[in-house]
Amino acid sequence: MNWPQVELTDVERFRALAAAVPGAAVTERVLPQEPDRVQAMLADLDVFATIHADLVSATLEERDGDYVVVLAKGARGQRARLKGQFRPGWCWLQSRFLIIGMAVAAEPGGGTRVALTGGIRVPGRGAIIPIKVRQESSKALDRLQQLLRD
Amino acid sequence: MIEEHLVRAAQRGDTVAMNEVLDALTPYVGRICGPIALHDGADAAQEALIAIFRGLHSLQEPAALFGWARAIAVREAVRVARRGQRQLPAELTDLPAADDPQLAIDVQDVLRRLSPEHRAVLVLRDLEGMDEQAAAAVLDVPEGTAKSRLHRARASFRKAWSS
Repeated sequence: MNWPQVELTDVERFRALAAAVPGAAVTERVLPQEPDRVQAMLADLDVFATIHADLVSATLEERDGDYVVVLAKGARGQRARLKGQFRPGWCWLQSRFLIIGMAVAAEPGGGTRVALTGGIRVPGRGAIIPIKVRQESSKALDRLQQLLRD
Repeated sequence: MIEEHLVRAAQRGDTVAMNEVLDALTPYVGRICGPIALHDGADAAQEALIAIFRGLHSLQEPAALFGWARAIAVREAVRVARRGQRQLPAELTDLPAADDPQLAIDVQDVLRRLSPEHRAVLVLRDLEGMDEQAAAAVLDVPEGTAKSRLHRARASFRKAWSS
């Protein structure tokens, strides 16, 4: 029997995951660049640190397949050991006090849809403090767009 | 499959574990939603996953994850497909068996002519290998209703072929 199959894009999967995390409002934007280029840029930890305003650096500490440990340093000297999945087109990382997520998918008709969420984690819980989540994601997308134009 | 400790960690709010549960469930949910919701399959799978993750904390037994998710996926796929309301009901003819080689065809056209409820029972019985009693429990209908829907669904395959 040739049953029809469904394959979700990473952005569709991302919406489902974020929906289960209170406070993790998702901000999406369609960019004109091709998905390969956007994915390649977001797979670079320097870009990761650049687009997230609170970070000054992000350094890979460990990698096991798609699973990573990243040491992130903040502008005020704070540090976070982010653990999670980081591969082209997908990022979901958490530390005790941070959650950061990104997903990329080809947009039908051309361009690339990018979805972001993230913020201060409610300690010990799968939740984000719902303050400026959308604003920060929107600013991160602005910075990503700028990098893609440069 | 997925290890139970990851499901428990996800239930406790470990979002990285939730990501792993998502990786494990997504293909399965897509396999359920595709034949029921057809061209709305992606919407159905996404909505099913949202419902699954929002309700994950209520799952009593992590070992039952896939069966629990299956029931939600079927329910959401039927709901989304009904919302689309693009299907035409099938008519009754005769009854091929589940392993009838005649069923090994491209089923898209035939599925499209069935109601979402009929597609759901066909998926549970012939794709998931459930018996009629278990399928009826998932669909929350009497066993006789599930049997009747299955009969109708298979009949439409037979009809599509003999026409």
